[in-house]
Amino acid sequence: MVIDLRRCVGCQTCTIACKQEHALPAATVWRFVADGEVGEYPDVRRVFLPMQCMHCAEPPCVPVCPTGASRQRGDGIVWIEYGACIGCGYCAVACPYHARHLIGEAAGYFGVPTPAEAATARPERHGVMTKCTFCKERVDEGRARGLVPGQDPAATPVCAVACIARAITFGDLDDPESGVSRLIVEREAVPLMAECGTSPAVYYIVG
Amino acid sequence: MATERVPVYCYQCVAGPDLLKVVVKDGVAVGVEPNTDLAHEHPAGGTVCVRAYGLVQKLYNPARVRTPMRRTNPRKGRHQDPAWQPISWDAALGLLAERLNAIRATGLLDAAGYPRLAVTLGAGGIAPAYLGTFAAFLSAWGPVDQGIGSGQGVKCYHSEHLYGEFWHRAFTVAADIPRCDFVLSFGYNGDASGGVTGVFRHAEARARGLRWVQLEPHLSVTGAGAAEWVPIRPKTDFAVLLALLHVILIERDWRQACDVPFLERMTSAPYLVGPGGYFLRDPTSGTPMVWDRDRQRTVPFDDPRCVRPALDGAGIAAGVEIGGDGARRSVSERVRPAFAHLIDHVRPYTPEWAAGIADVPAETIRRLARDYLDHARLGATIEIDGVSYPHRPVAVLLGKTVTNGWGGYECCWARTVLAALVGALEVPGGILGTTVRLNRPAQNRLDSVRPGPDGFMEQPLNPTGRDTWHATPHIRNAYRTLVPLADHSPWSAALGPAHLPWLFREDPPEHWPAPTTPDVWIIYRTNPAISNWETGRIERELERFPFIAAFAYTPDETNWYADLLLPEATDLESLQLYRIGGTKYIEQYWEVTGWALRQPVTAPPADTRDLTDVATELARRTGLLEGYLAALNRGVGTTVPLVGPGYDLAFGPGDTPDAAEVWDRVCRAATRSLSGGEVEHDLGWFKAHGAFFVPFAPSQYFLHATMAASRLRYELPYQERLKRIGEELGARLHERSITWWDAQLEEYQALPAWKDFPGIWRRSAAVRGRRVEEFPFWLLTSRSMQYSWGANVSLPILADVARHVQGHFGVMLNRGAARRLGIADGDPIEIESPTGTTRGRAILREGVRPDVVVVLQQFGHWATPFARDLDMPNLNQVACLDLALTDATGSGADLVPVQVRRL
Repeated sequence: MVIDLRRCVGCQTCTIACKQEHALPAATVWRFVADGEVGEYPDVRRVFLPMQCMHCAEPPCVPVCPTGASRQRGDGIVWIEYGACIGCGYCAVACPYHARHLIGEAAGYFGVPTPAEAATARPERHGVMTKCTFCKERVDEGRARGLVPGQDPAATPVCAVACIARAITFGDLDDPESGVSRLIVEREAVPLMAECGTSPAVYYIVG
Repeated sequence: MATERVPVYCYQCVAGPDLLKVVVKDGVAVGVEPNTDLAHEHPAGGTVCVRAYGLVQKLYNPARVRTPMRRTNPRKGRHQDPAWQPISWDAALGLLAERLNAIRATGLLDAAGYPRLAVTLGAGGIAPAYLGTFAAFLSAWGPVDQGIGSGQGVKCYHSEHLYGEFWHRAFTVAADIPRCDFVLSFGYNGDASGGVTGVFRHAEARARGLRWVQLEPHLSVTGAGAAEWVPIRPKTDFAVLLALLHVILIERDWRQACDVPFLERMTSAPYLVGPGGYFLRDPTSGTPMVWDRDRQRTVPFDDPRCVRPALDGAGIAAGVEIGGDGARRSVSERVRPAFAHLIDHVRPYTPEWAAGIADVPAETIRRLARDYLDHARLGATIEIDGVSYPHRPVAVLLGKTVTNGWGGYECCWARTVLAALVGALEVPGGILGTTVRLNRPAQNRLDSVRPGPDGFMEQPLNPTGRDTWHATPHIRNAYRTLVPLADHSPWSAALGPAHLPWLFREDPPEHWPAPTTPDVWIIYRTNPAISNWETGRIERELERFPFIAAFAYTPDETNWYADLLLPEATDLESLQLYRIGGTKYIEQYWEVTGWALRQPVTAPPADTRDLTDVATELARRTGLLEGYLAALNRGVGTTVPLVGPGYDLAFGPGDTPDAAEVWDRVCRAATRSLSGGEVEHDLGWFKAHGAFFVPFAPSQYFLHATMAASRLRYELPYQERLKRIGEELGARLHERSITWWDAQLEEYQALPAWKDFPGIWRRSAAVRGRRVEEFPFWLLTSRSMQYSWGANVSLPILADVARHVQGHFGVMLNRGAARRLGIADGDPIEIESPTGTTRGRAILREGVRPDVVVVLQQFGHWATPFARDLDMPNLNQVACLDLALTDATGSGADLVPVQVRRL
């Protein structure tokens, strides 16, 4: 994934689209746009920085998992087998991006679940660690139908589909001809906190 | 599991409508997604913004009003429980009809001449997209006061609306961003307010290298994406704009810097101005004169042999000046072109002078002027739809508080003159109008261009002549009497001084009809107890309203005072077909135009009723069915007549159509009218497909070709007509001994001069017995994309995501200023103005001027579920209703001198 910070306006449309797609409970987000500042008045810039799981090639969250619930697929997507997770939080401590979140016995926004909340409830996630999945079910289903992730909306993570500024591009980093690979080269996109040695799969276009 | 995707539109802000699908599983709406089926038609690929994703929660919100309710506690007050009693729709509409029929039996106007029925529709241009056919009911009713404001009119881009439409059919002004290279934005916050199309266009432009400079007191969402932030003092924008004009016209050789052919042919710059300040005119025809440099004599401006009219110089010439009320004055003396007056006018306004007022360095102003000129590309052309246009890729944009209240006229004038100087007005790359509201037809700006006086466009104005002025206000905000530019269109009531009905109740003006309260006030999607200035005063007034019928989604601070709550079917529960595409509103430049449908996506979870069915039933119960159907047949509220070439879908006498029947006919008429009769789609087709489009050529974005073909000119830079109007309006008011509008009359200047605009607000402290020095900060508001216009403050999911955008749920202030006051991040603070206090948590930022504090939107709720727990301050609690803070268009601005302290 490549995120163009020149385009992002911090609107949180990706945040809410993700919450809806994954039926996340109140106060839980798998991604959000941080609203920060660099510099001091009057020489200051306001910066919007989308944050999420970086789906690192060397994910520190995976080896620390005592049950093996934290896993990495062959295509690089880092995910959690909820049935094996005990919610201990080691992975959350290990993640330098604070991208993992424990979902408790999640109530709805109003105490009593709304019909929509009841219809989309995910009890298997209660008491376990959760995080951005790169919408792997959506990507997989789309791919199974012959769609191309990153090109066809139905096979692309919802954050990228929903983004109103087209700041988020999804694709195959292993394919040097893919849109994301070309963007990384042409726009000199960089990962966040590369010094951690995690080899993130999310890159940012800064300037 | 059965999954459907139901197409609807979202018009929760005036930057739409946008297109979405609602995902419905086994009859339950579970989500929202972009309508990518229409990605090619929608400029932003069918996406919708963060607010649309709250619609499912809005549908199922357990806190909503679930059935009609009547008040059983006759006493009204914030601390009086209304004691709501659930009743049936039949009983509720019976109660309302009884009140309405009592009015019809008594008389539609009260003793003061005001309508006994008042209706307030909130959120500016949004209500019509959700109002069904209610407008047809109001049309059938007769006189209705739609000018009791909720803040939305007088706080919006008020001066831009009125003057923009006057100058270039620009009720709203946008830059032609896709073809623009340089933007000077004075507080324009389009990345929060411009909708998905605006955000998308800005993002595309930034990615290709557009340079955006943001001048504003705090670093907004839009400022974040700018190449440069210039922290200007509040309400001093006109000073910098004047200095920019000074640099271009005085410090540079204007003959080289400006688009001289544009000024000569497309503006009034060459018109000669006499010593009285009015155009020098031919004594016989009354035509304005110019100086022909080739023939060295005066000629009518439209003399085809005059190819080189003078823009500067002076000479003796003869003619007449025509002032207010037709007063003629023979002239045979020294006259100069309007452009020469402009040059002299801006001469004192040096960058050094502006720097002292605006806290913007003189060198910055000079650099910005240089950048503006460098990017203007004089002489460049671009091809649009096979036609060559001038290409002037520079724009000056203005934001809220700059475009309204004192100084709004001046800033709008300067911005538009800056465009005219380089020919960047209504051409590719420059500034454009997006929609028209006062002129007709409303669907295409180009078709609204008609020849008017003196080579300018015709513009409908409220008359100011001795025999034509409307001396007696016909509604309580008196826009026809006090605001000539507001015209008398269906939108005008919202464009007048809509806070005057509240202000005048406690402070009645002299020689004016007695302020009265309407017998029945119907409100929809509006909450003046939160959104109007001086909220405490509004609440006191609300206690006096004898009968308020409120269409109500949840309990709120205004319907707390209501007598009847009517839970209308909301966004995803009701039917409506709405126009979409073209250039309407903010940055909506589409290559198609057409119609989109909003439809129920599932069974309503509460006992709601479609507003179309409410309107039909009210018409029946008040004996107005015939007039209501006639209005529907004319297209009132739907904007498409049911009878047209080759089709007759009109309702007949005695019909009582339900919402589906009404909108089915509208669907068929709309497609017929748009396709020249070739296509007819019914409601069923729209339910499946969502929208119908026909092409809309990009050449229709630009007024230039139409103006040139009609040999018309922009009424710039010299405002002779406004000067005359102001003189006449003053005469009319003074003839009736009305002097309380005198300060407003001073706005009618041919060439606007700097005034101490910040001082107008500062002085409000002294009037109230306080010292100006007590209030060293400016309290300002800023836009939240998450909350603006959406009537969604009761949705916790919006708060859940909005908390990530700084400024929500607190007060932003400069970190250094806070340190000096002993305020730490998160501290509770109190903000005090001369008239009130409001409280919130401190959010310390570097991107705020040290003399400014900022709150987002308008919160301060105490009755609305969920929102009342947000603990958000509200500028309106400390802003005062004050005639002295009201400009000539009737607007004010969201800024208040305040003091700040830690609690």
